[in-house]
Amino acid sequence: MKKIVFTVVMIIAAVIFILPVIATLALSFWNGGEVSAEGYSDLLFNCFVFYPMFWNSVIYAAVITAVQLVVIIPCAFAFSQAKFKGKGLLFTFYIVLMMMPLQVTVLPNYIGLRDLGLLNTAWGIILPMIFSPFGVVVMHQYMKSTDSAIIEATRLETNSIFRIILTAVVPQLRVCIFAVVLFVFADCWNMVEQPMLFLNDDSLKTMSVFIVNAADYTGHVLFPASVIFIVPVFLLYLFFSDSLEKGLTFGEIS
Amino acid sequence: MKKLKRLSFNTKCKLCLLPSLAGTLLFFVIPYFRVLYYSVIDNQFRRNFVFLDNYIETVQNEYFLLALLNSLILIAVCVPVLIILALLISLFLSFGIRKLKALRASFVLPMVIPTAGIVLIWRTVFTDTSTPLPIYLLFIWKNIGICIVLLTAALTAADRSVYEAAKLDGAGSWTLHRKITLPMIAPTILFSVLLSIVNSFRIFKESYLFYGTNYPPDHSYTLQYFMNNNFLRLDYQSLATSAVLTSAVVFLIVLCGIFIQRRYNR
Repeated sequence: MKKIVFTVVMIIAAVIFILPVIATLALSFWNGGEVSAEGYSDLLFNCFVFYPMFWNSVIYAAVITAVQLVVIIPCAFAFSQAKFKGKGLLFTFYIVLMMMPLQVTVLPNYIGLRDLGLLNTAWGIILPMIFSPFGVVVMHQYMKSTDSAIIEATRLETNSIFRIILTAVVPQLRVCIFAVVLFVFADCWNMVEQPMLFLNDDSLKTMSVFIVNAADYTGHVLFPASVIFIVPVFLLYLFFSDSLEKGLTFGEIS
Repeated sequence: MKKLKRLSFNTKCKLCLLPSLAGTLLFFVIPYFRVLYYSVIDNQFRRNFVFLDNYIETVQNEYFLLALLNSLILIAVCVPVLIILALLISLFLSFGIRKLKALRASFVLPMVIPTAGIVLIWRTVFTDTSTPLPIYLLFIWKNIGICIVLLTAALTAADRSVYEAAKLDGAGSWTLHRKITLPMIAPTILFSVLLSIVNSFRIFKESYLFYGTNYPPDHSYTLQYFMNNNFLRLDYQSLATSAVLTSAVVFLIVLCGIFIQRRYNR
């Protein structure tokens, strides 16, 4: 009985949460009072700025996520293994930086990019996001639960720190890496303020900016664009949730 | 290359920190000192040193105080609701009926949907703007996904054998979760709280599109509006000063979080 009540409550909650998503999907096929796919044809066949912006979003998010992994995995590994004075303090600094609202970090980012002459370039979007501290903090939290015996054993076999990280650390962090990839990719995918503030050329801007300014383009492009916008990150989520289950089943067996 | 091989493990580890540290210095720390500098001069052309004048002006600015208060109220009201809701849902999806796991997707989807379209839907549903409720609900709706993903991962990683033992000892499910589950996932809960606080500062774009103006009703005028309006007016001194003050407030919140965690661990 209790289970049924819980199940019903949970299903109702899920429906409430997904309702705006369904409304977006429904509205994308709703045009001037009737059902049609006109919005999609407006977007896909008549709106030429859409394609470069879509690919910009893909490229920025993919490059940032990939390079960020290369930077943060060694960094988090170092935080868990290295011994030096002030390590705790340095990590606290990363947490504080992670907590800083966008409105606080955007100004230093802007000044840094201006001084390096990187405003209005793709690097201006990519570089600061690569060094966002979120991944380091998450990765370090999970690094604590890794089996240090495996790391010790690998240290006896090889001297190369990269091989230690690749063979002993990365496999253990699989689930965490998937989670970080999902969050970082989604974060880049959704960013609006940075492209609007750091870029002037429309050819460099992203799909998120396109959607915010959708009213400026001809046709009913807002809701169709919103639907297309959801797809990449949702596919990534489906892939990730699948791997999460698998990764954890492995953990239970061994 | 030979030299690199002879380095001790500890030194190599420290070298691994370098790329991240260099980037952080270049794009966050060094420019932050420029921001500090901007906050103590009168303007960027004359560059007269005015010490704390900008700060005194900002903390006496009623709009800044209103914005700060509204941002803190948003955190105090929404973050606890968000975390408790996310915790209940993740507990149920992890320990309840297996078939319902697919429901998780419906809580995660809002995380990735662009808000420009959602805001239009929100406007037709919430016509009453005399309270900040629409924005609060939008915040919870959008941020529950990331909390559920984090908490579910922690719950799945938790050691099941402990449960079996406790169940054999006759513990009810409420006691079980309160005494075993909560302490086990406490670090993840704290992390979710911190992350939700960060994200509470990000609800500007949504609020801006919802009200469609730089000057929303008083109850929804948050720090982001204050700073955005300064950005538009190119008032760098006020912008730098409020950025420094906001970072100080956030710094205090983090210190509180760390303090609570230390006490909890003891």
